[in-house]
Amino acid sequence: MTEPEPTAAERELVDCYERLVAILREHGDDLAPFAHRNAVKAAAALWQVANDLGLQPGHLYDLGI
Amino acid sequence: MTPSPYWNPRTETLSRDALEALQLRKLRGLVDWTHASAPWQSAQLRKAGLESSDALRSLDDLRRIPFLERQDWMATQEEDPPYGAVLAAPPEAAIRYHTTSGTTGKRPLAVLDGPKDWEWIAEMWCYGFWAAGVRAPDSVFFAFSYGTFVGFWGAHYACEKLGCRVLPGGNMTTEARVRMIAEAEVTVVCSTPTYALRMAQEAEAKGVDLPGSAVRVLVLSGEPAGSIPATKALIEERWGAKAVDTAGMTELGTIFMFECSHQPGGPHIIEDHFVEEVVDPVTLEPVPDGELGERVVTSFGRGFIPVMRYRTRDMVVRVPASRCDCGRTFDIYDGGIRGRVDDMKVVRGTNVYPRAIEEIVRRNVGALEEFQVRLYTVDGIRDEIEVLVELAEGSQTTADGDLLQEVGRQLSEAHEGLRFGVRTAEPGSLPRFELKAKRLNDEREVWGGAGGERKTM
Repeated sequence: MTEPEPTAAERELVDCYERLVAILREHGDDLAPFAHRNAVKAAAALWQVANDLGLQPGHLYDLGI
Repeated sequence: MTPSPYWNPRTETLSRDALEALQLRKLRGLVDWTHASAPWQSAQLRKAGLESSDALRSLDDLRRIPFLERQDWMATQEEDPPYGAVLAAPPEAAIRYHTTSGTTGKRPLAVLDGPKDWEWIAEMWCYGFWAAGVRAPDSVFFAFSYGTFVGFWGAHYACEKLGCRVLPGGNMTTEARVRMIAEAEVTVVCSTPTYALRMAQEAEAKGVDLPGSAVRVLVLSGEPAGSIPATKALIEERWGAKAVDTAGMTELGTIFMFECSHQPGGPHIIEDHFVEEVVDPVTLEPVPDGELGERVVTSFGRGFIPVMRYRTRDMVVRVPASRCDCGRTFDIYDGGIRGRVDDMKVVRGTNVYPRAIEEIVRRNVGALEEFQVRLYTVDGIRDEIEVLVELAEGSQTTADGDLLQEVGRQLSEAHEGLRFGVRTAEPGSLPRFELKAKRLNDEREVWGGAGGERKTM
């Protein structure tokens, strides 16, 4: 028996996480403090979803996550 | 949709094969991360011939990774303070600084965590709270001092994540805590087992009715007593609530096991985030399920400090998940943490574990206020052991010599006939504890010497 695949909804959450990370990587320096720090906090929370799904979302200390 | 009884239904019910496949995948990722970012740990892997994760073909290959010893971690911290060479990310990336409670070693270990590590620390506690039946809108009181010791910090954030109302009970007297618990209609209390009993005593003394309060669950951590049946039964009786055990370590930042509401006699290991091995502490060879051994942990969650095959010194007995009917496939540590490798004392050739003493004392002495175990030397040559029991003031059993004799008899029977003295202590004379009770004093002299500290384990 293998691990179940993520559901469509779980996949969408992982997409959100990846999108957030991409925004922080591309525009992190341009964001206002309120946007930047809340995006980091949201990414840290969504990282848990990807991690709990066994997707190995990596370590993103360079982005402050 | 019916709410899931599991925090993570996909992993908590995985088959053993699928769980081990997940662990192997995570282990490979951990080794790759270590080689890329943690030179100190990477050097240990290279010494063992593990140049990359390609060398890990099955979970059995975990055993090729060298053990991480606390003294090595401590040594690198002392050589290169304050963190040593263990970090995989620059300290500037951290948002939290915490330390061990200082129960072992000369100084506490200092650890760092980044934002997602800190979220992960809370995430592990969510597994535990969810399994204990804690849900919004529970009100959760933390009888915890909120210092640098990591303790219940992660649990606090977990409860916020669950949507519970959190009452941080730091910097309060015991009386103020029990009054708040009763008056604020708290439904869940987090504390050490010792302090749960202490609060119950204080409540009784001050006329606060805890069994009649809204409290329905106690989440215990910080000491092995949360899985000692007699202690747990006493806590549940005095609070009129269900008590569940958890255990964590600062070295991991969080809990690695939790007891579910089915209370199968020990906590489930969080096996999708940790690999737990049980080894003989002397030979370091694996011990089979059902036998006592030392836990060795590998953690997949915290990136800041890769921890692989860390020798914990905790003594455990692993049993299959099927022991519990909750449906989880995570194995169980029967009886929780059974003690520490270095807890064991040898008295006249007999192994003595503080946990076994506590079980017998609490089972027999109903009016127990506190107790202490004292080891001492007579005439410079003979080791003796005695248990001092402090009874509740006004207790009818104060002068009950038969009871003390019976406790001594049971202690002796449980320890190969070793003679135990049991006597009462003056009310208020024994130390009280909020965190990590220390109830064994080894005052023995060096054999044949005129004094000084004994050099035994």
